[in-house]
Amino acid sequence: MPSLSQRGAAFDPEGSLPPSRLDFHPGDDYFTHPGEPFGEAALGLAIGPLGMRLEGLSGSQAAALRERFRPFVTDLPAAYVTIALRNAGVEGFLRLASAGGGPEVYRLESRASGRRLVLWSYEFAGWLDAGAGKALLALARPEGPLFDRGLENFLRVLTASFILEQGGFLLHASGVVRRGKAYVFFGPSGSGKTTVTHFSPGDTVLSDDLTLIVKRGEGTYEAAGIPFGLAHHRTPETSGSFPIASLNRLVQSPVVRREPLGRARALGEIAASLPFVMQETRQAARAIEIVGRALDGIPAHRLHFRKDDAFWGVVEEA
Amino acid sequence: MDLQAVLAKNPNAAYRIYDGKATVVLPDQAEVDVLNEVGSAVWDRIDGARTLAQILDSVVEEFEVDRDHALSDMLEFVAVLREHRMVR
Repeated sequence: MPSLSQRGAAFDPEGSLPPSRLDFHPGDDYFTHPGEPFGEAALGLAIGPLGMRLEGLSGSQAAALRERFRPFVTDLPAAYVTIALRNAGVEGFLRLASAGGGPEVYRLESRASGRRLVLWSYEFAGWLDAGAGKALLALARPEGPLFDRGLENFLRVLTASFILEQGGFLLHASGVVRRGKAYVFFGPSGSGKTTVTHFSPGDTVLSDDLTLIVKRGEGTYEAAGIPFGLAHHRTPETSGSFPIASLNRLVQSPVVRREPLGRARALGEIAASLPFVMQETRQAARAIEIVGRALDGIPAHRLHFRKDDAFWGVVEEA
Repeated sequence: MDLQAVLAKNPNAAYRIYDGKATVVLPDQAEVDVLNEVGSAVWDRIDGARTLAQILDSVVEEFEVDRDHALSDMLEFVAVLREHRMVR
């Protein structure tokens, strides 16, 4: 019985909060009286079908984010989700396990509280309510790498949760658009997601890490990038979404070939590559239901590839 | 293992069966398992009500396999399910 496990990636603590022996796990009472907003500025983002409105930003924060998320910045229409940013008022939440400075698995804690999903990590704590379209995010720093990382990590989780409400899902995958069609390459860290983007010159790279699978109609799905790639991943070149040609589970091999994945196997492989939404049973059940439906309309393959561009000849055959 | 034992799925397990094969997610263990067709049939019948003997009879009938062989396979499979805490 094969077992596919999600494992956390090694976390480089550079730029992290000072080591401390004690974690601060925020209870509901912490969010009853959240800290002050950073300012009165707001920013609109369009991530696939998700409209986001970030409120409580300072002017400089809004200007920096407008530049960083540029392809995704939009006017402020009626947002699908409103995210209220607050100054956390504390030095941090989770602390590095050791003072030695060695790598540790990035820790992200979560719990359900009524309809809310509460999240906290080193530099942020927040909650999101998919039904109400609201979220609150408290950040320990007003600027710099810790502000960026806390904001983007929270928005990644938020995107993964909210896209399920729209019948889509966020996949740990790279996405490349060639001749108007999106090819999605997924698998665990080290499987080659970034590598395939390097062998796609002239193509549009949606992501080398997280690709959004968007439901556009019954049985019709498109792929899009998200701009929350942290410092070490590419920012998507476009906010557009593109019809999906295929989903490809990457396997490194000297012989380039691909084979169809049966639906159950494809579902298992994809479920193991769904970030953030598999920790809670109801959400996990919803996620695999949605992926199962998507597989009715999207062909899935196991792609054996080596580190050159020969895989494109196989992938584009169909 | 007692064939009169009654097992129940781990209530935290989320699963779907497509093309006769079950994909099982165990959120609290960060684990995803895909079962083969016979394993999926056993998994689907584990409901907190049927005994292992009843499940065995049902599987033998559906897949037209030798009972002794099926018994051996099923007990081995159930042991794996228990080891993975997929059933109680």
